[in-house]
Amino acid sequence: MLKLEKVYKNFGGIQALSGVSFHVEPGSITGLIGPNGSGKSTCFNVITGFYSRDGGDIYFKGEKLGNLEPFEIARKGIGRTFQISQVPEKMTVMENLLLAPKAQTGEKFFNIFLKFGRIARETRNYLDKSKDILKLLKLYELRNEYAGNLSGGQKKLLSLGRILISDPTLILLDEPTAGVNPTLINELIMAIKRLRDEGGKTILIVEHNMKVISQICDRVIVLDYGKKIAEGTPREIQNNEEVLEAYLGGNARRGFAP
Amino acid sequence: MGLINFLIYLAIMMGIYGILSLSLNLQYGFTGLANFGQVAFFCLGAYVTTIITLTFGMPFILGLLGAMMIAGLFGYVIAIPTADLKEDYWAIVTLASAEIVRMFFLNEGWVVGGGAYRGGAFGVGGIPQPLKSYFSPQTYPLFYLCLVIVCLILTYLIIRKITDSPFGRVLRSIREGDDRLAQAMGKDVKKFRLKAMAAGGIFGGLAGCLWAHYYGFISPYQFIPLETFIVWAMVVVGGKGNNKGAIFGAVIIILFYHSTRYLKDYIPIEEVTLASLRMVAIGVLIVIVMLFMKEGVIREKKKEY
Repeated sequence: MLKLEKVYKNFGGIQALSGVSFHVEPGSITGLIGPNGSGKSTCFNVITGFYSRDGGDIYFKGEKLGNLEPFEIARKGIGRTFQISQVPEKMTVMENLLLAPKAQTGEKFFNIFLKFGRIARETRNYLDKSKDILKLLKLYELRNEYAGNLSGGQKKLLSLGRILISDPTLILLDEPTAGVNPTLINELIMAIKRLRDEGGKTILIVEHNMKVISQICDRVIVLDYGKKIAEGTPREIQNNEEVLEAYLGGNARRGFAP
Repeated sequence: MGLINFLIYLAIMMGIYGILSLSLNLQYGFTGLANFGQVAFFCLGAYVTTIITLTFGMPFILGLLGAMMIAGLFGYVIAIPTADLKEDYWAIVTLASAEIVRMFFLNEGWVVGGGAYRGGAFGVGGIPQPLKSYFSPQTYPLFYLCLVIVCLILTYLIIRKITDSPFGRVLRSIREGDDRLAQAMGKDVKKFRLKAMAAGGIFGGLAGCLWAHYYGFISPYQFIPLETFIVWAMVVVGGKGNNKGAIFGAVIIILFYHSTRYLKDYIPIEEVTLASLRMVAIGVLIVIVMLFMKEGVIREKKKEY
């Protein structure tokens, strides 16, 4: 589904990614973990075109991704959320969702005046879908609230909602559970699993919560200082000495206990 | 009779500036483009229609369409190299581009056909007024007012259609700061900016055209950057992101702008000083609105589902 081959990214003298290679199997949930500053978010930004890479190749569905603009990559079917939730503050929760579907008829300037029947039909369709998604995410009651008034956790949920409605093939989630309360985390986990099992989606997920990683990931990739240091099932990773050393620096093994 | 004529004049100004204000509101209020060169569209609209109707003697309707087209095109073109700039740089670039347009007409007198004491700094007079022969000099302003109001209503309806559409929704998401989100959702942010500038430009050009045919005389000195700031005052006071607010702002600012004319009977200050004071009056109004109604008199309305 997604393949990185020796991808490099430098920021001045810092090598944020130095020769990272990995691949993501179709229909799997792959975890991307590593200490802070290990290059996880950079990796996401390189895949989605927000950063240009300094070397290496990225393949999506077997096709090489050249130097495309982020919106072109999104249109190919790679959806993402951001570590710090980006929400248009002065747009309501519902509008946030209606914004997400790609290539809407009413987004073309002249269609506004020519194809109103089709635009109205599309909008009704997206409105129905949005309602279902908001109910799933427990945001339905807040649908007419400005997104800027939501809590940090609710913004995370809203970001996930936007992914759900835009229906990409590959989903990149950047810390989807940070700042979300434990009950809701469980529901999020269920929702993400359902995306894989029922929706047939492929998911790449950056997450610090090891419980989440071990519960949902089929495979885990560990980055440290911009290099891949390990790869395997969550169980294999948890027992990998090098990972424990890099990730936890010795103490604080709590979250990693099998 | 004098008073009625003055009121008609006032209403025509409100209508023309209402169109300008709606056009800036589409760019700034909805898309977040800090366009400090709004007067460029106004100027281009006025000159293009003058060239078409006066120099080439073609009918008014062609002048109108030409003005809208050229101004829209100009908006699109100046946005191409600048669309990726941040808001403050954008403001400087647009301010400069408006001055470039003005300087062009100031120095290139030949574009309006040339002639002694004509074009350039002398301005151009004798711009034909549409359907003038069908009306008496007394009733013509009334007809022109109707024409302006029809244009204002059409502009309002079209811009409202744009801002209510999925296209408008993307524009607002671009306004809300970070481009990255819109990009991640597959929106070509740059293209949307270009289109917003072009659409705004079209209506700016319309306002310029109406203005030129109303006055019958235009000169580069009428299109100084101050005009842009007056339109900004309208959007900020009326309520950015609200189309009704933009029109309301135009009404209020035009009233303020002309209010000093009557104060001279009540305040013992010389007329010349009072005329300068009107900019102060607008400044005070902006400060008051900013302090007590940050989002303008008519706030952006929330779309509920």
